[in-house]
Amino acid sequence: MIEARNITRTYRSHGAITGARVVPALRGVSFSLPKGGAVSFIGESGCGKTTLGKILTGIETFDGGELVVDGVELSGLSARRRAPYFRRIQMIHQDPYSALNPTRTIEQTLEDPLRMRARETGGDRKAVEARAAELLELVGLSPEGVLGKYPHQLSGGQRQRVVIARALTVDPEVLIADEAVSMIDVSMRLGILSLLRDLRTRLGISLVFITHDVATARYIGEDGELHVIYRGSVIESGPTDTIIQTPVHPYTQCLLSAIPIMRGLELPGPQRLVPIGSLDERTEDTGCLFAPRCPFATDECEVAQPALTPWDPTHQHACLHAEPRQVAAMEIALSQ
Amino acid sequence: MTETIQQTDRPVDQPVEVSVSDLTVVYRTDLGELPAVSRASIDLVPGQITGLVGESGSGKSTLALAMLNAVPSPGRISSGSITVTGLGDVTKLAGRKLRHARGGTLGYVFQASQNSLNPLKTIGKQLLDLGRAHDVRDLRALVRRAAQLISEVGLDPDRVLDSYQHELSGGMRQRIGIVLALVLNARVLILDEPTTALDVLSQAAVLDIVRRVHRDSGLTTLIVTHDLGVVSEIADRLVVMYGGPNPEEGPATAVLHEPSHPYTRALIGAMARIVGDISAARVLPGRPPDLTTVPRQGCVFRDRCPLAMPVCAEEEPELVQWTPGRRRACHVEPTGVLS
Repeated sequence: MIEARNITRTYRSHGAITGARVVPALRGVSFSLPKGGAVSFIGESGCGKTTLGKILTGIETFDGGELVVDGVELSGLSARRRAPYFRRIQMIHQDPYSALNPTRTIEQTLEDPLRMRARETGGDRKAVEARAAELLELVGLSPEGVLGKYPHQLSGGQRQRVVIARALTVDPEVLIADEAVSMIDVSMRLGILSLLRDLRTRLGISLVFITHDVATARYIGEDGELHVIYRGSVIESGPTDTIIQTPVHPYTQCLLSAIPIMRGLELPGPQRLVPIGSLDERTEDTGCLFAPRCPFATDECEVAQPALTPWDPTHQHACLHAEPRQVAAMEIALSQ
Repeated sequence: MTETIQQTDRPVDQPVEVSVSDLTVVYRTDLGELPAVSRASIDLVPGQITGLVGESGSGKSTLALAMLNAVPSPGRISSGSITVTGLGDVTKLAGRKLRHARGGTLGYVFQASQNSLNPLKTIGKQLLDLGRAHDVRDLRALVRRAAQLISEVGLDPDRVLDSYQHELSGGMRQRIGIVLALVLNARVLILDEPTTALDVLSQAAVLDIVRRVHRDSGLTTLIVTHDLGVVSEIADRLVVMYGGPNPEEGPATAVLHEPSHPYTRALIGAMARIVGDISAARVLPGRPPDLTTVPRQGCVFRDRCPLAMPVCAEEEPELVQWTPGRRRACHVEPTGVLS
């Protein structure tokens, strides 16, 4: 469905005092998303994962690499020729409070794109109304209760469902969810996540899930691929549960170690790791990007950035000192 | 394997730093005065971190603000008391005394500290404002104390004091929030959703700092959150909040291991986790009641409760101790069985 090869994106800022500065947001990201499949991108704030989501939806351009959608390489096409491909890929934004127009009812929000769609497919007004109701039911909302309402009359979870319904109006094949549940109450998150899972199984929609929360990525794409991004590079990737259970890159291990342990239900992994310093520190770009924060860094790490290499046939990493460590929480076996 | 559960129960006569008793906070609306917090009771024990957990709309932030007697209009504390050692009943304080209690004895870290810092003033200027508002004579000593705290939370004091808030990352701003809450030697630290906007590594770092300053300064700490993971990571005691009187409270490990209220069980069951059976996670149906939908009679949770009985619609359950150190408000008998 989507095949990304070595996508790069660099931002240039022209600060009045600091002068021109080059900020690489993505340094060559490759992945493939099969039809109906799921991939997750995990990383902390500022790692480039949101830029990737924007590139995949065509909101943002990329300056290197290839993006192939349904067998067609997009970077060579004009914006006009590209548009129909990007329409198959829809974005669900992080913030359901700002993603909906506060002055428009849910009905108006859904019917605009539906009317556009109807003009192409030859549907009439009735069909548009029926489809709006159908979509709301699909995302678990009651059409009568919601259609006439404004966004402020809905809870965060309900708004996010409306955002998902709006994304579905153009019959997409891929949904990109960028931190789709991070602003929603924990108790409501699971409902949204299981809705996304449902859309995958029922409609065969592929999912790209972008988050800093490994647990939600696991819930969405247990059978999918997980890619860990650090400062614009994928530093480890493989099947989701493999990465959680036997991560080999120290950065992945730090991320997994930082997840709170549910006391009474889980025990901390015996080899938990804490990174040194924070991402704010600007460092030289030669060598491994994680080296300044890595507990295992050696002089060799300063020389060149390690390339993604196989650990086993399905699992890749970019580290000179890769070693599996048990860092994730372990479930406490219940005695009953 | 069964984990040994530490029973850190306090004896009845153990000192209490803050005692919220039967507190009701109402908001004036077109439909009359409606309760956001209804008969809530919480004791904060010196040296302990208490985690207050609830969904949006459960009244947890209102309760935290009430502890400063700072419920914004049109809300007001309509009954109950908040007794703080050395201050007396905070709900009775006013004027200068109240101003000195806020930020003095009672340190408060606001939800999303990034939005509570003044964007037009450097952190250092805001620190001096704080000092003046509290009639601090020796502002130099205040800056020295702040610099020391800033280093303790892992930042560079010189850089931070000269920075504007937009020059700092979310995690850094949250740490500054903690510094400003503690710089006037607060004894009680209240944190409202301190990690909500942060990613997992910044969250771990901030929680680690809270744990450390709590221990080093001998604080009494209340952390308000919707995330059970945060409570599990940091709290000694767990108080669950839901519209009416607290459904459940007790030692954090014991409550997480063996929740006794259907609501607590549902909250734990609705978490996506990185281990265990994914299909065991259960969506918590419905939504928490808001001001207009909160039932006036019976148990507040009954509409979403899988175990609701006829009595639940008629009588509001009382918060009672059912086993040493743990209290619950539910008509269903505690089973002690993990679901």
